[in-house]
Amino acid sequence: MARYQGWFALVLALAIAAGMFLVRTPLELGLDLRGGSQLTVEVKPAGEITRVGSDEMEAVKAVLDRRVNGLGVAESILQTVGESQLVLQLPGEQDPTAAARVLGDTALLEFRAQKPDTEAEFRSLRQVRSQVEAILRLRADQIRRGETPAPLDLDQLKSTQETLGLEGQASSQEEQLRELLKKVDADLLTMLEPASLTGKQLVTAGRQPLQNNPNSWEVTLNFDVEGAEAFADLTKSIAGTDRLLAITLDDQLISAASVGQQFKSAGISGGAATISGNFSAETARELEVKLRGGSLPLPVEVIEVRTIGPTLGAENIRRSLVAALSGLALVAMFMVVAYRLPGAVAVMALSLYALFNLAVYALIPVTLTLPGIAGFILSIGMAVDANVLIFERIKDELRRGNTLIRSIDTGFSEAFSSIVDGHLTTLISCAALFFLGTGLVKGFAATLGIGVLLSLFTALTCTRTLLRFLMGYAGLRRASNFLPNRQLSSPTA
Amino acid sequence: MTEASSSATAGEVRSLRWSLSSMRRKVWLISGLVVLISLLGLLLSWLDPAIRAPLRPGLDFTGGTQIQLERRCDDSCYELKAIVVSDVIRAMELPQQEGQPLPNLGAPRVQLLDGGQSLLLRLPTLSAAQGQAVIQAVEPVAGPFLSGGQSVDTIGPSLGKQLLRSSLISLLVAFSGIAAYISFRYDRRYAFLALVALAHDVAIVCGVFAWLGVVVHLEVDSLFAVSLLTIAGYSVNDTVVVFDRIRERSKDAADLPLPLQVDQAVSATLTRTLYTSGTTLLPLLALVIFGGATLYWFAIALALGVVVGSWSSIALAPSLLTLWYRSGD
Repeated sequence: MARYQGWFALVLALAIAAGMFLVRTPLELGLDLRGGSQLTVEVKPAGEITRVGSDEMEAVKAVLDRRVNGLGVAESILQTVGESQLVLQLPGEQDPTAAARVLGDTALLEFRAQKPDTEAEFRSLRQVRSQVEAILRLRADQIRRGETPAPLDLDQLKSTQETLGLEGQASSQEEQLRELLKKVDADLLTMLEPASLTGKQLVTAGRQPLQNNPNSWEVTLNFDVEGAEAFADLTKSIAGTDRLLAITLDDQLISAASVGQQFKSAGISGGAATISGNFSAETARELEVKLRGGSLPLPVEVIEVRTIGPTLGAENIRRSLVAALSGLALVAMFMVVAYRLPGAVAVMALSLYALFNLAVYALIPVTLTLPGIAGFILSIGMAVDANVLIFERIKDELRRGNTLIRSIDTGFSEAFSSIVDGHLTTLISCAALFFLGTGLVKGFAATLGIGVLLSLFTALTCTRTLLRFLMGYAGLRRASNFLPNRQLSSPTA
Repeated sequence: MTEASSSATAGEVRSLRWSLSSMRRKVWLISGLVVLISLLGLLLSWLDPAIRAPLRPGLDFTGGTQIQLERRCDDSCYELKAIVVSDVIRAMELPQQEGQPLPNLGAPRVQLLDGGQSLLLRLPTLSAAQGQAVIQAVEPVAGPFLSGGQSVDTIGPSLGKQLLRSSLISLLVAFSGIAAYISFRYDRRYAFLALVALAHDVAIVCGVFAWLGVVVHLEVDSLFAVSLLTIAGYSVNDTVVVFDRIRERSKDAADLPLPLQVDQAVSATLTRTLYTSGTTLLPLLALVIFGGATLYWFAIALALGVVVGSWSSIALAPSLLTLWYRSGD
């Protein structure tokens, strides 16, 4: 009997430790329980790279990590999933628009000089561009305010399209304008020399409001030594001419400026520059974040965005908690009615089981999601199964007329093989789900798998220890505590 | 294990409560009919021009954007008509996303849940900004919305295919893992029959959901894939316990004919199987009642799997075992 008291002390100590640990370490809740946004991006192979390998993924992740940190959302998590995907979790974030924009761009910044003898054409194209942009912005504002956008000057649109060699076949006016913009951008690029300086040579980027107009912002850049030299050479080559210094981001002109005569001899030195291209505080910040993060080695695409509100998350917690507790209560009632004393012991063991489960979630840690809670609730059913198997065997032994203590021991040892087999087959499914599944599926497999492992422990150790410990009391050591008297073949114990 | 063998030989199994062998034709007939109806459901779903798949795939598999909004309204909730909301969406102009064609909002699917308290929109794949624009557009007619009560899910079409593939692969890996384990612990015949029982259970659950997809337009999501995998694990767990008893009987009472051994084993485990199914059903029932819309069909699928799984482990798998041995004699 002393052996069982040792075990009993161990189980008790474990329970206390688990309880104390849980009080100190809160459980990690998934976004579906606390609210927030989740974005999945897929890395696309491009150019010479036909397959996305782990090196490329790491490079992409490093860049995105820096960009995400720049966003300044607390506790954001960026994880690699599968071979070519990254999942970004932004707890509490309700509007993932900015995050989607910041993540999705390659952010290849280039400084390019304008080709000689293109001045007039370049200027007129930029004029068209700013006009179209202004119209688009106006329309977007009007739509946002719920007004119908002002009608376009169709003749002007038509003539501009003709000059550019566009056919204007796009469906809506909005799209025609977009198409126009695209064509202008492409034409502008053909008038630029190849890049002599890129975002790679950036040391840092910042932003500040313009002195004369605090609503308009500019982005400041600082180059490394090599970059500063290249920048000086570049500015020197076009200083005093009508050729412009163009700054492009992902092959789109974002700014162009002339370089004054005074830089003719040495260029702009010091390795600092600013981009002032009509930025608002927000767009300046996004560009700053992208430039600081560096350009992506491969293009990425946002393929999944999930947003869930915090009250909806709280509602999910409340509902699953009610389900878990009422499920446990129903099972407990059933066990006590069906198995009497050992049923009550099983309820104790199951409470320990629930406690251990939660402690393990906090320890690993497992991020609890809605399917994760479902996995936990289901694992309760499996944990009960182990107890039912054992008690049925004990009853069988008692009906055969064995003594109580002997029946208990035989019950446990006989049930052992089917419990192990049953649990292991479930564990095999869990492993397959965990290693091959994604997202929700993984969370479910994790909690169910942990549950199955712990159930092996509690059924074979906790239930047995508690039962043997209680058998130390003569008042409880009666077969009628296990089985109705009429089913006993002979009085025992 | 000395106690085990002595007590088993000394004791006699209680009177048979479930004489399986004499009823095995009925068992096969019932299982066969139900599986046939299930397969018919899958086939009908496949032939349905609106589905073209054995099960009606949900957003998780097809890709698209789903927006759920909780409305702030009490008695007036009932007044909103779904058609009003879809008209607004059809008429709205979406902000453009760089380099992407504008999604076609011509056929939005609008559903009002919980007596109009929440609004569910199914749309083609939208960018995050476009999703926000849709919410702003429907706010005048369906708002005000509960702040913090919204959810927006956007799933690219490629993600759905990946999900389908990874679900199928994990199902296959789980199947072969379980088969390997049972072959190792028992023998190949048991493994084969456990997989037959498993296929039977999975087919019936799929069939019921195929019928639901055809009749009430129920869609299956990634959670359904999860439930199938769980049912697979549970079904085998259930069957293994019965097989374990049969193996024990065939050792302890080797002189008895096999059908009697099987009957005794099934009778001996009957209480356990029913109790276990019952206790697993209780938490699932709690999930169905309290778990909310997200987990409702998930819990139903699991509960159905538990019921069918018990049937196949009490009746189908052991009765097939008797057939196997007889033909092998």
